[in-house]
Amino acid sequence: MKKVININFQGRVVPIEESAFDLLKQYTDSLRNYFSNEVGRDEIINDIESRIAELFEERLKNGSTCITDADVTIIINNMGRPQDFADADNANMSDFSEPKKTYEYQQPPFGTSKKLYRDENHKILGGVCSGIAAYFNIEPIIVRLVFVFSGIGFIAYVLLWAFVPGSDNVYNGVKKRLYRNPENKFIAGVCSGIATYFNINVWIPRVLFLLPFISFFFRWGRFGPFHFPSFLSFSFSPGTLLVYIILWMVLPEASTTSEKLEMKGEKVDLESIKNSVLEEMKGVKERMNRMSNEARTFAQEHGGSMGKEVGVAAKRVGSSFGDIIAFIAKMFAYFVVGSIALALIIALFSLAVVSIGLFPLKNYILNNGWQNFFAWGSLLFFIGIPVIGIITFIIRRIARIKKTNNLMRYSFLCLWIFGIFCFISLIVSVARDFKSASTINEINVPISNPGVKKLQVTYSTDGRYYGNHGWLRFEPFANFDEDTAYVNNIRIRVVQSSNDSFKISIIKMSNGYSRKLADTLASRIDYPIQQIDSILFIGKGIPITPEDKFRNQHVVITIAVPVGKVINLSKKLEWRNWEHFNGPWNNDNYDWENAGSRDEIEGWQNHYGEDLMMKKDGLFTVEGRSIKTFNGNSQEEIDLGPDIKIQTDNDYRDSVIVKKSMDSTINKLQQNRIKAEMRIQKMKDSLQKVKEMIDKKIDKLNDSNTMNDNPIEGMNHGFMLNI
Amino acid sequence: MNIDNTASQMRKGVLEFCILSIIKLGEAYPSDIIDKMKAANLNILEGTLYPLLTRLKNAELLTYRWVESNSGPPRKYFLLTEKGAEFYKELDLTWQELANAVAALTKDSNTSTN
Repeated sequence: MKKVININFQGRVVPIEESAFDLLKQYTDSLRNYFSNEVGRDEIINDIESRIAELFEERLKNGSTCITDADVTIIINNMGRPQDFADADNANMSDFSEPKKTYEYQQPPFGTSKKLYRDENHKILGGVCSGIAAYFNIEPIIVRLVFVFSGIGFIAYVLLWAFVPGSDNVYNGVKKRLYRNPENKFIAGVCSGIATYFNINVWIPRVLFLLPFISFFFRWGRFGPFHFPSFLSFSFSPGTLLVYIILWMVLPEASTTSEKLEMKGEKVDLESIKNSVLEEMKGVKERMNRMSNEARTFAQEHGGSMGKEVGVAAKRVGSSFGDIIAFIAKMFAYFVVGSIALALIIALFSLAVVSIGLFPLKNYILNNGWQNFFAWGSLLFFIGIPVIGIITFIIRRIARIKKTNNLMRYSFLCLWIFGIFCFISLIVSVARDFKSASTINEINVPISNPGVKKLQVTYSTDGRYYGNHGWLRFEPFANFDEDTAYVNNIRIRVVQSSNDSFKISIIKMSNGYSRKLADTLASRIDYPIQQIDSILFIGKGIPITPEDKFRNQHVVITIAVPVGKVINLSKKLEWRNWEHFNGPWNNDNYDWENAGSRDEIEGWQNHYGEDLMMKKDGLFTVEGRSIKTFNGNSQEEIDLGPDIKIQTDNDYRDSVIVKKSMDSTINKLQQNRIKAEMRIQKMKDSLQKVKEMIDKKIDKLNDSNTMNDNPIEGMNHGFMLNI
Repeated sequence: MNIDNTASQMRKGVLEFCILSIIKLGEAYPSDIIDKMKAANLNILEGTLYPLLTRLKNAELLTYRWVESNSGPPRKYFLLTEKGAEFYKELDLTWQELANAVAALTKDSNTSTN
């Protein structure tokens, strides 16, 4: 019992069994799809349909009450299925339009058990991911992303590439591609395309894209009842926009029918495959042979194709040594190119991250107007364009999109060149603002209690400075908010005082466009130094306002320690002293050597948090060891005797670890020296004895005037005995 | 080499020529063409014929007119255009040369093997 329906087919009413109608519909759909890129597609389909209609009519005239499955099958067999005339078409079409075969559904690999092959038809690099996807019947893009974003992906890929045989007949059941959907679009159809791809409701991607914006507005207004997680509103709102724009550029619009079908992932030829399975089973053996023939010719033609080489090499080890060499060479080339590309990407991304992190600081560095404009131009075009370009390229590679867009390419190039221009202008302009250094002007800071026995130096505990949070630290900026930035450009010098009281002096310095401006900026530095009892508090940073701008303001604090008194520089100072003075913009012209007649005492940097006593020739630890090194004598010699000398460098001694290990080495060496000295003493003693013996013997000889005795023997004897 | 494959390639090469020569004899309906080719022992699927005819028509070698049919929808009857006739002439010439060449060569090889 079968249901019969009436259909209007080519202007005729045809009674047809429902199942037969399904067969017919699948057949015409497969034809439509097969001819999708043919110029006269509709005409061809129409011709075939009218011919089918004619055949139906004949059948009905001959007494049939309706069209049955068998009728349709016979007609289809006579007409031929797309795969039947595919070959004939290819040969015949050369003179005419060349239709692209966008759809090619192949049989699953022959045999009952599934095998893992590399998919030569849908490969990007070696077909590994595509093959795995076919094996598990999933989207290749998923496998690809897993490989790209997992750490061992590269090695695993190479191994699979080398050991999994390739096949150009891998059946991939899932054929879906991400397109923009022009039929249901809001802006560009991106969300709609995603929804179609994942077969979900279109509002889901839309809300996901819009949510951060909505939350942003709610937060912005501070009146909303919703409290969105902050990571959403902060990180996503520009992010989703960027994602949307990238997808817009990367994804092609599904304009043709076949593309629309691909978007939905419909298996167009499923029914015809099903029908031909039985026939296929008969021809399995023949096709197997043909396939292997084709594979062989393919391998010969594409001798350079590395996958084949590996496959062949694995099969015939020994006979194809050259192939292996070629494989290794290719691997190496891929590796080099990949490394360079990776380095470029990382460099660009870090540049982008740094500049985004730096961006809030721009008010403290850049002048309004052109510099600001250049900064935005550099960020958006010089850094942003390549980042977007690389992301676009990767996605296009992964999604296998081949359509090129020259207009976009050239406009990107132009924008990037503009970005370079902005970047160079910015650098030049900012560099000019740092050009001049201020005049050096040392000011004495009055302290309340200069006569203390011991002066302790530490940072002010004032909580005003230094939150030191934030994900990116950019020296010398310690911390900043809307109206002040704190710059820890502070250097401490320790000198010997000329009398018996502590003296503190400060030099405020700055750079600027002109010396005058630099002087003004230097004079505006408000740096607190305060003594309370025996503790000297110094500020953690120099406050800078957006009006003043950061022009490498820095201060040098000179602490004069009188002879016989103690100074203790807190461990808190350890971190940020001295280092910022090596910055690229530091061009102050202070002649430290001749700054007064006092020599700066170095080396105390190794003794943060220790009491140091000032003596006539420098600072000493409480144990009485000199921390030594006066200015201009940066090398220290440790005298270990006439032959052993150890030279140390101030740079190395900055490290506590090195110092400790050196101390122990020095101890050992000193012990060795003592031992050596004892030995030498022994040797001297024995030599002395020998000498005495010889002298005695000579005396004897002189006395007796005979030459029979051998003095050497005696000397040797003496050595042997004494050493 | 696969014998079927080679043979079908050979057939494909002369397919257009055969179709044009059938149409040259007079207006032809596609199923007539199929029948005639079948009679001459040259099997072809209708699904292959229709696109081929459309392409020849789009290349302005063929034209067609509608003829009412008593069994089904109106039929397309195909006929040669002037351009088509010229095209056919050239093909015919090529075919003659080819046939002679092939005949001569196969005869040579036959005699030599004998």
